[in-house]
Amino acid sequence: MKHWKTLAAAAVATTVGSAVLAEGLVTPNLSYRTGPFAATGIPLMNGQKDYMEMLNARDGGIGGIKIDFTECETGYSTEKGVECYEKTKGEAIVTQPWSTGITLQVLPKTNVDEIPILAPGYGFSPMADGKTFQWAFNAPSGYWDGASMIVSYLDGKDGGLSGKKVAFLHLDHPYGKEPIPLFEKKAAEMGFEFLPIPVGLKEMQNQSAQWLQVRRERPDYVVMWGWGAMNAGAITEAVKTKFPMENFIGVWWSGHDADLALVGDAGKGYKSISWSFPNPDAGVMADIQKHVVDAGKSLSNADEMSGVFYGRGVVMSMILAEGIAAAQAEFGTAEINASQLRWGLENLNITEARLAELGMEGMVPAFSTSCANHTGNSGGWMLEWDGSKFVKASDHLVPDTSDYAALIAEKAAEYATANAPWPMNESCDAPS
Amino acid sequence: MIYRTVGQFKTSYRLDQALFPVRQDAVLLTIILVFAWIIFPLTASEFAFQTLLIPILIYALAAMGLNILTGYAGQLSLGTGAFMGVGAYACYKLITIFPWMNPIVAILLSGVFSAIIGVMFGIPSLRIKGFYLAIATLAAQFFLVWLFEKWAWLYNYNASGAIQVPNLEMFGVFVSGPQAASVTQYFIVLAIVSLMTVLCINLTRGNQGRIWKATRDMDIAAELIGINLMKSKLTAFAVSSYIIGVSGALFVFMWRGAAEPNLFDIPLSFRILFIAIIGGLGSIMGNYLGAILIVGLPVVLNIVPEALGLDIKSATVEHLNIMIVGALIIFFLIIEPHGLAALWRLIREKLILWPFPH
Repeated sequence: MKHWKTLAAAAVATTVGSAVLAEGLVTPNLSYRTGPFAATGIPLMNGQKDYMEMLNARDGGIGGIKIDFTECETGYSTEKGVECYEKTKGEAIVTQPWSTGITLQVLPKTNVDEIPILAPGYGFSPMADGKTFQWAFNAPSGYWDGASMIVSYLDGKDGGLSGKKVAFLHLDHPYGKEPIPLFEKKAAEMGFEFLPIPVGLKEMQNQSAQWLQVRRERPDYVVMWGWGAMNAGAITEAVKTKFPMENFIGVWWSGHDADLALVGDAGKGYKSISWSFPNPDAGVMADIQKHVVDAGKSLSNADEMSGVFYGRGVVMSMILAEGIAAAQAEFGTAEINASQLRWGLENLNITEARLAELGMEGMVPAFSTSCANHTGNSGGWMLEWDGSKFVKASDHLVPDTSDYAALIAEKAAEYATANAPWPMNESCDAPS
Repeated sequence: MIYRTVGQFKTSYRLDQALFPVRQDAVLLTIILVFAWIIFPLTASEFAFQTLLIPILIYALAAMGLNILTGYAGQLSLGTGAFMGVGAYACYKLITIFPWMNPIVAILLSGVFSAIIGVMFGIPSLRIKGFYLAIATLAAQFFLVWLFEKWAWLYNYNASGAIQVPNLEMFGVFVSGPQAASVTQYFIVLAIVSLMTVLCINLTRGNQGRIWKATRDMDIAAELIGINLMKSKLTAFAVSSYIIGVSGALFVFMWRGAAEPNLFDIPLSFRILFIAIIGGLGSIMGNYLGAILIVGLPVVLNIVPEALGLDIKSATVEHLNIMIVGALIIFFLIIEPHGLAALWRLIREKLILWPFPH
């Protein structure tokens, strides 16, 4: 009978009311260590967690206050993500939503709940417009940055892109569709043929139909926006169909060491644009080794820690930690709240000197955010698989942000109208 | 003791056929309604609204729709998720094309679109039965989800391919979108679900319900006593899809706030089918019990370790959760294969006889 509901709700009412009080600053992470995307999630989550653990052990937190880096497991399910958001938002000073689906759900609530979203390198590209999306941050690089860098990199190769054919293999999901507007714009301007090839969520592991299309169309390049099992599927199919690997480029989420390790030498030449790079010799890695791994607090292992994704997790937590530190310095208090952290994330200034101080040389390019620019447009490097690991294959690349500023403004305005009444941050200048 | 029926005399057929022939049932229902309408809205936290109360009601409604088709009319369907999607997308289009439309009217209207699509995919049921029909409805599932992805008009050419619920006002109060208060949304969901439940109870107890049950139990016999099978099956598809469509619209507009096509994929259909089966096919109350077990219990289990102060990793809790819920489903189905509703019926009968079992 329905009275079970009574009991359940009564239990919830009491437990939620008496939830454990926070120790320090609560920065929940909506992790996914289970489910279909766990293989790519775990190294990232471990990197994030270990960096915060390291700060807690080495410096006693940030500004003398411990960081409570709790994880709430979503299994990459949107439904669980919303559950986690509701569960954590009471004390949280930031939300790390971790999937484009969850970001889309949480984004409209930011203006009401006033908790910043930190989505490093993912989420909705127009979030760069800080005037419209006051509470959302996708530093250091958005998907349109990635697309722009890939296009300009390809344009610099073998006599330019004009007249070439670029296939765009993407997950048929909000995430995979994200860069299409920019690619279409560039295709029209630069005169290359753009061919989107969607991969449905059910077809991730079996992409024979898509690669048949690749063989028939004979594109000069294949650009991939894949995630989870799709990456491994695409890379093995590409090897099988003997597609030249040096013409195959993925976004940063398609550059997971374990996916390439499956094919080993056959994957040589595969590239991935990335705003992070693992540097096992960096000072921060030694500190993590000393304070977290040797203390037995890490869930990671040596092999994983040398990979791209673990390093990226460390960089992500560094961005959050720097935001917290900036806010603490500005407001003169260690116990900052959500809106103070918003200021901190808006005033990040990660210079090369600061990176050296943090012991993170070469792990991420320098960047800074502002009121109007919530992305920072760090740029990145083209990484290349050498048969056993990823190596840098280019100098620091920068996206041509002026190229799509209008597009960002247009899409941000569209979002704001669709969600009216949507408050704008009038104190900002026009987005750059 | 509690369920003593002594002294409750039925002196007319009308009284004997009443919805609650035993007075205690009516009292129990009143208590539940008081909780649902007064006590929960006053006491529940935002978390309880968003993760327990609203989703349980919406899932129970969807399962009720499926139960009409599968439990009462005996037509197995695996397309529930897609029909919910039709309701959600129809509601989205209605709201964006006619922004002046009352949101509740739009939600109730969107069920009509779902009903039309449901009848179309119900036509094969006139020729095929059982598992073969399940495959035909599976086709609806795949086709409709594919359509939600490919037909950009449905999501207003949004670059990410997802639908986002705008802020909708009704009499000066936000009822959907991020600005809406959870308690408002809860009341709307509760009102619509209560209305649909009353409708379903009366439908299934009345003439139409008997026609469906006859079709379910033996369609040749039903045809011989003069039941038009085509009408019976297609009305079942229409009513069922209407309710499912309304629940889909509620699902996105009153709860999720945004939806991408693959949300309506087969896992959702299975989830609702499990709620209906575990709750009890051919029962209205079972849908609520099933929804509490499948939707509510995992949420409650998730917060137990933290409430007890145990330091267990979030991922471990998730694994434990899956194991516990799975074990409970098997346990309940072993002690009562006909679902939780039948289990309750058994308990109730025993309670009426207690303390003198025979």
